[in-house]
Parts: sequence; structure tokens; C-alpha cells
Amino acid sequence: MNAVTSSLEAPRLAGRPGFADVVAEQLDAVYRYLVYLTGDRAAAEDLTAETFEKAFRSWRRFDPRRGSPRTWLCRIARSVAVDWFRAETRRRRREETYSRDQQVTHELGDGLPAELEAALRELSPAEREVVALRVLLELDGPSAARVLGISQTACSTRLSRALRRLEERMTDAGE
Amino acid sequence: MPANEMTVETLLRAHAPVAPDLLRERVLALEPVRRSSARRFTLVAVGAAAVAAVGVALVHGFVSSGKQPVAQPTTPVTARGAVSSPLVPAPKNFDQAASAKAQVVTGSSGRLQHTDASLELQVGNDKDLANATTRATRVATSLGGYAQSVHYASHGTSILDLRIPAENVQAAIARLSALGTLVSQKISITDLQHRLTTQSDEIAQLRRRIAALQTALKDPSLPDAQRVLLQIKLAESRRALSQRLHARQGTVKAGTMAHVALQIGTKKSIVAPPHRGRIGRMLHSAVGFLALEGIVVLFALIVASPVALVAFLIWLWRRRSVDRLLAA
Repeated sequence: MNAVTSSLEAPRLAGRPGFADVVAEQLDAVYRYLVYLTGDRAAAEDLTAETFEKAFRSWRRFDPRRGSPRTWLCRIARSVAVDWFRAETRRRRREETYSRDQQVTHELGDGLPAELEAALRELSPAEREVVALRVLLELDGPSAARVLGISQTACSTRLSRALRRLEERMTDAGE
Repeated sequence: MPANEMTVETLLRAHAPVAPDLLRERVLALEPVRRSSARRFTLVAVGAAAVAAVGVALVHGFVSSGKQPVAQPTTPVTARGAVSSPLVPAPKNFDQAASAKAQVVTGSSGRLQHTDASLELQVGNDKDLANATTRATRVATSLGGYAQSVHYASHGTSILDLRIPAENVQAAIARLSALGTLVSQKISITDLQHRLTTQSDEIAQLRRRIAALQTALKDPSLPDAQRVLLQIKLAESRRALSQRLHARQGTVKAGTMAHVALQIGTKKSIVAPPHRGRIGRMLHSAVGFLALEGIVVLFALIVASPVALVAFLIWLWRRRSVDRLLAA
């Protein structure tokens, strides 16, 4: 039995999933979200691990009545990713020239068509983020808005704009 | 939703990235990192501070409750100057005071002392109040003193300010306290002998100086300038002598006439102070101490509020910066 299972399955409360179950169910979702948000698979792996580590530490404070485990994990993941973006921005400022030369491009999706991949790359992290939450993770409007810390209207607008841009790019590529 | 959007969404879902097995294993192997989170530390610190504050207050209350309370209104006797006579201990509580016979303080014989007494009596009703007030005035008169002021209210209390010759103050207090039930008494004796001696010495010295100046002024060979100077000094000395004589007269008067403040009230008007047991005193003291701690905490919060405001603004700025960061 691994550490996560042994530590947090025993005191399972009624109506509250065990942490190991949550890991099994939500790992892909969190990873996808972070891949889309950061655009960097290696970073997304590290950040996913960090997200679950944080979630593990604060698992006792998780209240299923206030939201689903996926929403809760996405909020933690976002906080972790924001810290990463800040660190990346500082790093790029310091090593601007080097960074420009050494940029590595990862695939955002597994076997995603090239034109869609390129279109996704052209979106801002904020737009990719909303696409990930609403399309890949299939969060409903209120949950996604809560993760993003914005209103539902703003969330819907951002999603529509992102999808429209993807469509336009796909259409241009098709012609 | 348009069909082309569906296509994009379907594509995105179909080609969604999958977490590598290594990552899955890494996450499942997580060990809890024992880090003291700031929130936990804050909770513990605040809890510990609250417990410490209450504990200190209780200890303070416990220690304070060990002391005998300063009976209200039976304030202990205060004395200034050299008092050689024993002073009357204040009754410890209302009941004791009520049953106590007035214990009269007498100053040291042969020394000039000023006695300042304050008595509080209780009588049964308004009729008794009127009688006691009249009799108190008569007592003062019969002992060679007088009532300097009398404030009488038919429904409440009467307050008398009596002047009694020092030699009769003992008898006066005894007779006055028999007019009703003694609730409290406060007697203060101030020794005036030292002051009187000092004033007498200064007067004698001034008289000698005046005599010397007068003798010097009789000298016909004294230069005019010197004469004027001596005349000025003589005038100053005479004025000083006059002041000293007046002050000594006041000292003697204070020593010869005692001041007795008498307050007589009916049962309705005099409310006995609540008698508290040790636990009651402890809690009372602890609550007082807690209130003091609360004031200190409030003061600290006021001092810290600008820092909190700056912290809030920084938090707000960071929150805004997230949007800019992800929109780039």
C-alpha cells in the first residue's frame, strides 16, 4: 500500500472520497489543465505533482459541500501554476536571449492535428485555461468561474472568444 | 452550439493529453511533508495567546483575591505626617461596619495634630434621618464646635460638615456614631507639630533680622544707597513675618479644630457594597484584567492597521497581476 492510500483512506468520512480515489480519478484532469495552461508538458508534470502534494497536505480541510474535488484541485493547480508563471517571467527577464534561443515546444495534445495545435499555441494562457476547464475537464460554468476567480459571464465570454479564434484558425488552415 | 465548434471540442477531447505513468506513480508515492503552514501557526499562536491572556488574568485575579478588599465605602484610614497613635482599622464589610462601635482615635498628647474624620451612618427612615441630623448639630454645638454646613434631603441623605475642638473630637465621634448604625468611618490624623515648630523658628529668625535691620537703620552715618537697600530688606522681612504669622495661626487653628464630615442616610439610600467571596473577587479581578488586556490588544491592532492595509493592497495588486500574467 502506498503512502497516499495508507495515510488518507482510513479516516474516510461518509460522502467524502478517499484521497487515493481522488488521485486516480483526477490526475489526468489536473495534468491536462496544467498542460494547457503552461503549454509545457515537463512543467505540467512537476506542477501536477506539486498540486497533489499541496492537496495531500490540505486534504483534511477539503469540504465536498463547497465544491467537487476537481474544482478544488484546479484551484490549487492554478495557484501553483501562477507561481510558476511568475518564476518563469523572472527567469526569462534574466536570461532573455538564452531563453529565446533555447525555447522547447511540447505538444499540447496527444496526436492533436498540427493546425489545431498551432491555433492553441496562439491563444493566451488565460484562453487555453478556460478551454481546458470547460472543454477537456467539462467543468460547468459556475465551477470554472470559481477556479478562475471571475464572473460566469466573463468566463463564458472568454470561452467563446477562445473557441472562435480556434475555429477561425482551423478554417483558415482548411482553406 | 455550432457544428464547427463541436468539431474543435471533439478534437480537443479526443486528443487530450494523458498523464504519464511515471507521474501517476510519483503522485501516489507522495509522503506528507510536515510543514508548519502559516495558517496553522497563526491559529496555534492566537489560541495560545488567548489561553495565556485568560490564564494571566485568572492568576492575577487569584492573587488579588487573596488580599482583603478595600471596603467600599469604608476606606482605610489615611495618615500624613508623624502619627504616633494607632489608627482605626476600617470595618471589613458592611455587616461588620454596621455592628462596630466607633473606635475613636486620639492623637499624641502634647503634639499639635489635625484630625479629619468622616463617618457614614444609617438610620431607619426619613423621620430618624431628620432627628439624627438635628442631634448631630447639637452634639457639635454642645462640645464647643459648630456645623459649618448642613445639607439635608428628606428622601435620601443628609451631609454635615462639622468643626469640633480637637480635645473633644473623641467624644464627638463617639456621640455622633451613636446616632445611627455605623456604616463606615475614615479618620485621618496629620501631625502639625513639625510644621508649627518650623514656622515658629522662621518667625523668630525674621524677628531677629527685623531687629537687626532696625538697629542698622538708626546709624546716622549710613550712606543713602545702603539705607535704601536696608529699608527694602526690612519691608520684605516684615511682609514675610506677616505671612508666617498668618500661616502659623492657620496651623494652630487646624490643630485646635477637628473636621468631621458626617453622612447620614436611610436604608434605602445606603446600598451595601456587594459582598463577594474569594471566587467572586477572583473573577471580578480577572475580568478587569482581561479588559485591560483587551485595551492593549486594541491599541496594538490600531498600531498594526497601516501594515495590514499595505499587506491587503499588495495582495490585491498580486491578484490583479495574475490576470495580466495569464493574458500575455
